[in-house]
Amino acid sequence: MKRRIFLAIVIAGCTLSVSSGVAADEPIGKFVDKVLPFENLEIVGYFRNETALKVSNGMDEFMKEKNIMDIKANYRFTDWLEAFTEIKLWYDATYDIEGRYKDLTYKEKNQKLTMPIKTEWIREAYLDIYTPNLDIRAGKQQVVWGTTDGVRILDMVNPLDYREWTIKDYSETRIPLWMFNLEGQVMMNGHLQVLIIPDYEPNYYAPAGSPFALRTVVAGAESSASPFVTVTTIDERPERKFENMKYGLRWRNVVESGVLSGLQYSINYLHTYDFASSAYTKTNVLFSPFGPPQITVQLTRRAEQIEVIGGSFAKTITEGIVGSLGKGWTVRGEFAHIHNGAMNYGTDKSIEGTVDVDQYNYAIGLDKTFFSKLDFSFQFIQLIASAKEDYDETDYTLLFGPTRGPLDNYENILTMFLATDFMHERLKPQVLIIYTDDNDWRISPKVSFEVNDNWMVTAGLHIFEGHPQHLNGQFDKNDQIFFETQYSW
Amino acid sequence: MKSLKILMLILASLLFLYQDAESLDYYKLYTPAGGMTADEIMEIAYHNKYSLFAQDYDLPDSEVFYIDPSGFTRTKLAERYRIVKGGEDNIKYKDLVVVTHPTQVKGLAILTWTYENPNKDQDVWLWIPALKKVRKISASEGDDAFMGSDLTVEEVSTRRFEDETYKLLREDTFAGYRFEQTGEMMFEGRPCFVIEAIPTKDHWYYAKRTVWVDKGFGGSIFEEYFDKNGDKFKTIFRGWDWYTDGALRYPTQTAIECKDLRTQHRTVVYNRQQNYDKGLDERKFTLRMLQRSKW
Repeated sequence: MKRRIFLAIVIAGCTLSVSSGVAADEPIGKFVDKVLPFENLEIVGYFRNETALKVSNGMDEFMKEKNIMDIKANYRFTDWLEAFTEIKLWYDATYDIEGRYKDLTYKEKNQKLTMPIKTEWIREAYLDIYTPNLDIRAGKQQVVWGTTDGVRILDMVNPLDYREWTIKDYSETRIPLWMFNLEGQVMMNGHLQVLIIPDYEPNYYAPAGSPFALRTVVAGAESSASPFVTVTTIDERPERKFENMKYGLRWRNVVESGVLSGLQYSINYLHTYDFASSAYTKTNVLFSPFGPPQITVQLTRRAEQIEVIGGSFAKTITEGIVGSLGKGWTVRGEFAHIHNGAMNYGTDKSIEGTVDVDQYNYAIGLDKTFFSKLDFSFQFIQLIASAKEDYDETDYTLLFGPTRGPLDNYENILTMFLATDFMHERLKPQVLIIYTDDNDWRISPKVSFEVNDNWMVTAGLHIFEGHPQHLNGQFDKNDQIFFETQYSW
Repeated sequence: MKSLKILMLILASLLFLYQDAESLDYYKLYTPAGGMTADEIMEIAYHNKYSLFAQDYDLPDSEVFYIDPSGFTRTKLAERYRIVKGGEDNIKYKDLVVVTHPTQVKGLAILTWTYENPNKDQDVWLWIPALKKVRKISASEGDDAFMGSDLTVEEVSTRRFEDETYKLLREDTFAGYRFEQTGEMMFEGRPCFVIEAIPTKDHWYYAKRTVWVDKGFGGSIFEEYFDKNGDKFKTIFRGWDWYTDGALRYPTQTAIECKDLRTQHRTVVYNRQQNYDKGLDERKFTLRMLQRSKW
């Protein structure tokens, strides 16, 4: 334990001591300005170290020792044409530091670590064409819909990287896709957005053995590890054909006059494929007179074609409802009906079959600043799954995708976020609390300190509580303390 | 019938009061004159502070320095744009601030709509490029620090004429202010109105302030803030200059130095390359444009 804590302190100390020496003159920023004297080219970036230690084993295990380099460049050809790229490279040295993984090959380590997959290192790369009434963004990008924080209701355009579960911001874990994004101005504050998405990527999940391997992944690995079971997996991903193209439409408006002035709302439609594949299993048992039965399982992972229909709103109560009642609160919400999805049913960790399912998900949020500088945000989220096909509901329930545990008809989630700042916004403590029914928790306090214009250090905790069948409880043993040091230029 | 008359009288009185508070026309420049009341002078000061004399305003280069007593300095750079709607749809003006430095907050953009109705809070949208999301946020509390500076939100953008009562203390000559950032003595010997302003809110972060309004252009050049014990705890100096472009001649704020006398921390703001009436398109003040801000 001492060795790991010592290592973590040394890493943080080294980066901080370097910071005091080099930060004052912004050497990297000035160097870039000097060697790249293109007036219309702007380059910024950061280096970041992320270190995490597992708390539950007495801090006896590194969960992350990641070094990240991120560079963003924007070139302005004209007032109406720009090109933007973000390159993000990283290496997680956890398995090098932890001797227990020394027998793994580089390829095996690569699979276990949160390494860049395929062209994931190209975080974004797109062309922007601006006209007075139409903006076109063509290339690899993220598009975010909805108003909810930390839970995806309408935010279904891009898949997610779950290799660190959901402890990172979605902005860092959303997987960008190649697409055309057109946003036209129909009214002064009313815009119609059209998305044409020929690209497809599934969500990324940590493999079994990784700190944040989902319970469903671990269960799958356990069953296929049996010497009497042979599993063949068929991945049915949408082929790159015109008819498989995904597309989306969003109408967004801000009401400018009347009692609803300032109300922002959207109506959304997305024709897409589920980024989490549905599992269809076909099992054959071959009895042998000479030994135990041989079981062959054909597992088909299918990305279902789904339709998402929904909307969102956000309104600040700028005039009290009665007197000053409610003044200063921002109310926001969103709703999504996910049509034609599929879910497994069965018992805990055991899949019996797959049925078509419609989902009705919604969220209501309230935000306000108290005592001048305490930001408060509360959200209530309800996820409703309704099977469209019959199955034996006396013996089985729908199964929750990430854990393969029983899914309630109504899953309720409450979130609360508190943040404030001191020392002229240099010291920023905050805490995020996520509670789902079935007594499942995640509590994530953290504090950031802005050393100077370039250096930022952060320390915090992620505490998971609950039963393994549930969202955060599956990582009950994965409480972690983390440190981040970032130099940006 | 009698009650109807009383109701009409009340409505007429309210209308009169409301008109009194908004008696200055948009897109017109006013300067104070001898014999004006404290209210009339402060109306002009607010009119100038928010540049309601112009159709639009852009400030492509604003520097903010946060300086602690040891001299340790942090810097923020920003662009600012404003379009004066002049009461159309009950909106006074729309404001857009885009942070360009440091990298940690580069691209952060804040869109604000300010309404005519003095009892109505601003509507505010925040674009955080890292999150790729426009957030509707509540207007900051007036006494919150503006972007972590020594200036409060209301001192920068939300304080209105109706938020205080005014008394003309005297007419006096300004002794000058030594701008700590440059050591330069500024506005020495300028004739001013000295006005005492008392907030209408109870238990506010200041009990009163004295405002030195320049007689020449009607802008507030120096403010001293006092707590309920009568102790001075903060000063704000605002440097002004004349913006000229052809026939246009507008007073414009070029620098601010705000000192917290309790902590000795200070904030210095420089506004460079300001422009007025360049025909800013209102489409710049929409959510679509917020999203153009990258990084």
